Amino acid sequence: MNLDKLLETGDRCIHKEPPTCTAQCPVHLEIIDFLAEIEKGNFQNAYKLMEKKLPFYNIIGRICDHPCEAPCERSKAGGSIRISDLEKAVLEYGAYKPKKVWPLPKNKGKVAIIGGGLSGLIAAVDLDKKGYIITIYEKNNRLGGRLWDFVGDSLTEELLKQELKTMVDKKIAIHFDATVDQNRLAELLTEYDAVYLGTADWEEPIEANPVTFQVGDSTLFVGGQLLNKSDSVILSASSGRRAAISIERFISQVSLTDSRDREGVFKTPLQFDISSKEPLPAVEKSAGIYSQEEAIAEAKRCVKCQCRKCIEGCVHLRKFEMSPDAYIRQINHNERIILGTHYANKMINSCAECGLCKEECFLDISMNDVIHETRESMMARGKMPASAHDFALKDMAFSNSSRFSLVRQQPSKEESKDLFYYPLISFSDYVKGLYKGTGKTEFLFYPGCQLPASYPDDIKSIYEYLVGHVKGDVGIYLGCCGAPADWAGQQGLMNENIEALKKVWAEMEHPTFILACSSCIRIFEKYLPEIKVESLWDIYVREGLPNNDHIKIPQTLSIHDACGTRENSNLHESVRKIVAKLGYGIEELEYSKEKTKCCGYGGLVYYANREQSDAFVSERIGESEHDLLVYCAMCKDLFVSGGKRTYHLLDLIYPKDNGEPATRIMPTLSERHQNRSRVKQILLKEIWREEPMETVMEDNFTLIIPEDVQQKIEDRYILMEDIQAVLKNAEAKNERFCNPDTGEYLAKLRRDNVTFWVKYEKEEESFLIKSVYSHRMEILEEDGNSGGTK
Amino acid sequence: MKHESNDQTKWLCDKCQRELELAKVKVRYMEGNFEVDLMKCPTCNQVFIGEALAMGKMKEVEEGLEDK
Repeated sequence: MNLDKLLETGDRCIHKEPPTCTAQCPVHLEIIDFLAEIEKGNFQNAYKLMEKKLPFYNIIGRICDHPCEAPCERSKAGGSIRISDLEKAVLEYGAYKPKKVWPLPKNKGKVAIIGGGLSGLIAAVDLDKKGYIITIYEKNNRLGGRLWDFVGDSLTEELLKQELKTMVDKKIAIHFDATVDQNRLAELLTEYDAVYLGTADWEEPIEANPVTFQVGDSTLFVGGQLLNKSDSVILSASSGRRAAISIERFISQVSLTDSRDREGVFKTPLQFDISSKEPLPAVEKSAGIYSQEEAIAEAKRCVKCQCRKCIEGCVHLRKFEMSPDAYIRQINHNERIILGTHYANKMINSCAECGLCKEECFLDISMNDVIHETRESMMARGKMPASAHDFALKDMAFSNSSRFSLVRQQPSKEESKDLFYYPLISFSDYVKGLYKGTGKTEFLFYPGCQLPASYPDDIKSIYEYLVGHVKGDVGIYLGCCGAPADWAGQQGLMNENIEALKKVWAEMEHPTFILACSSCIRIFEKYLPEIKVESLWDIYVREGLPNNDHIKIPQTLSIHDACGTRENSNLHESVRKIVAKLGYGIEELEYSKEKTKCCGYGGLVYYANREQSDAFVSERIGESEHDLLVYCAMCKDLFVSGGKRTYHLLDLIYPKDNGEPATRIMPTLSERHQNRSRVKQILLKEIWREEPMETVMEDNFTLIIPEDVQQKIEDRYILMEDIQAVLKNAEAKNERFCNPDTGEYLAKLRRDNVTFWVKYEKEEESFLIKSVYSHRMEILEEDGNSGGTK
Repeated sequence: MKHESNDQTKWLCDKCQRELELAKVKVRYMEGNFEVDLMKCPTCNQVFIGEALAMGKMKEVEEGLEDK
């Protein structure tokens, strides 16, 4: 993994960037924090923030020309926050006696300040504080320059005098009535280590470096109006401070230019979308200064501009309190660490890889891609926790084994000729389709692994529909597309799977794949662009729905789009057309279509972090009062398990009489296996009229499983076949423990990389299962075996 | 990983009909090899792992090793 590139991506994230008010403030007052303190009524804390950033805050706070206000994002929703008025209020309500500062010994060098106006005073104070010997040359008989022009209601003469007196208190040398001209300047430049020129006018134009304010490579530095060519008070203040920084660097002989790109006014890369905020007008002052209550109310209007778009949409980022920049730093650390704990593993495996973050990002930063690449890297380096995705990968292996996998061409005309009789041939589209068979497979129906697991009874109906409606022979291909391997970062396994798919495609002479699962669609787009695919839902729209009398009770549904189809707007439209055609109303969710959310299954988060998966489920199902309509089997199963009435499109297209489909609970993990095997059996028997070759796993023992134990079986990813195998071994070899007091047995068996334990009681011919659990750690028993059969 | 001896004393090895004894047992996960005190049958050596141990400390150690 290219970690430098990764960090560059993190640096592009604008989450941490300052708001435009702070960027436009030449001295960078932390305005969001400042307003937040006022909002809480902590005027003194707000005052401390002014003290920290504003030189002569008692003066500037009263006369600042507030360039921060005009660009305020609030201006688009009710009017800019009145920051300047709030500063005045804070000076009124938050002032406290300043702490005594002990001066540093003055031994760092001598600096002359020409002009005792605002910028000169600030340069003088900043350098004095750092230990320079300062001498001010002022042409008048008092300090302050144009500050005297601002004396009025806000800045009183008394206050100004008091502030200027601090210069005397600091024992800074001041020469009054000291006019400095070109000649005198030349002398001062030889007498002092550096000279700051802060007069409003000068005899001739002076060019200074725009970053350092240094004139050429001389010891002269410029600031104030002379440099800024502007009346702005705060710009003057900022230039005095920045010149002082240059002078200190100059005298200390360090680089004058390093890390100064964000001094003064700069353009923040932050982008903020205020469109969702209610407009709120500014709070008017009832007197010259805001009352405390008015100030608090005004500060509350601040929207605290920060880019959180991806975070707001993503329950994963919120759960781990991560912005992309912080997340990427953690990944970087996790990737570089050699000895020690990889603390970010769990987080990295808790992302649904749904891609909403990229959709929401102004800069198209895709944490989905970053995290996916990280998982591939973890896998390649052997650092992927085995337990995170083990069950899902075994499930994939099951689906690609002979217990489910199947490839068949459409039954030939020859094989089907017994069906071609009246009235069957005139009333059954399916039989008509068979009659038109050419022997050339134009389409291959690939329902994926989860749809057959959840809807075993519909696969045959869909297949028959397709044979009867699409032009050309339709074959079938049962298997898993490899989405689990992709999500787990298993590139090797993924490539193997893709090669296997390609081989079937080639053998069938390049048919179009008909896909019904959103994850398959995503995988085909990503790995198999050469294969032409069509979605089952698009075909229903084009060829018409199979039944006519679907609707039972007309109602409004909210459509939850599958995250795998995010970029497939045609498919979104097809689904909506089908829902409307079926007679249902649609109310769109806020996050829908290209901005849909994940149900909580994506990225295998369901297996790697169940708590995170539950958080995805509960957030999503809380977003609509209406029943949900989904078209991905896992979305349906997760939402129903979360307690939300949810229909799968197939529930509406192929209605059944056995109970309410919107509340039908998901099949257990074992039932999902059985259902897939059953689909294969049904198809072989009823479509191809073959006797199934493979024998289904027979359940040797009759089990009684209480509900709480059933829940444990699911939560701990244990299959019935695991339990059966443990019991079979225990019963055959007596390899078990017994409890004479309770009559219970406890047996174990290691299967592959997991040891399964079953606590049970025997009740005549059946087994009452009391508990099940497993561990991956291997116990090396003294005879060298690890308690397993393999 | 410490052995937890709550209710395990009443379990017997069903094959040997013997009471279990605490003994040093080697366990292995990924690159980690340890010796821990666990209950086992003194005759056939089969080791007893209770539910609390498997789902508690043992899982914690597994996860710790996976994150190394």
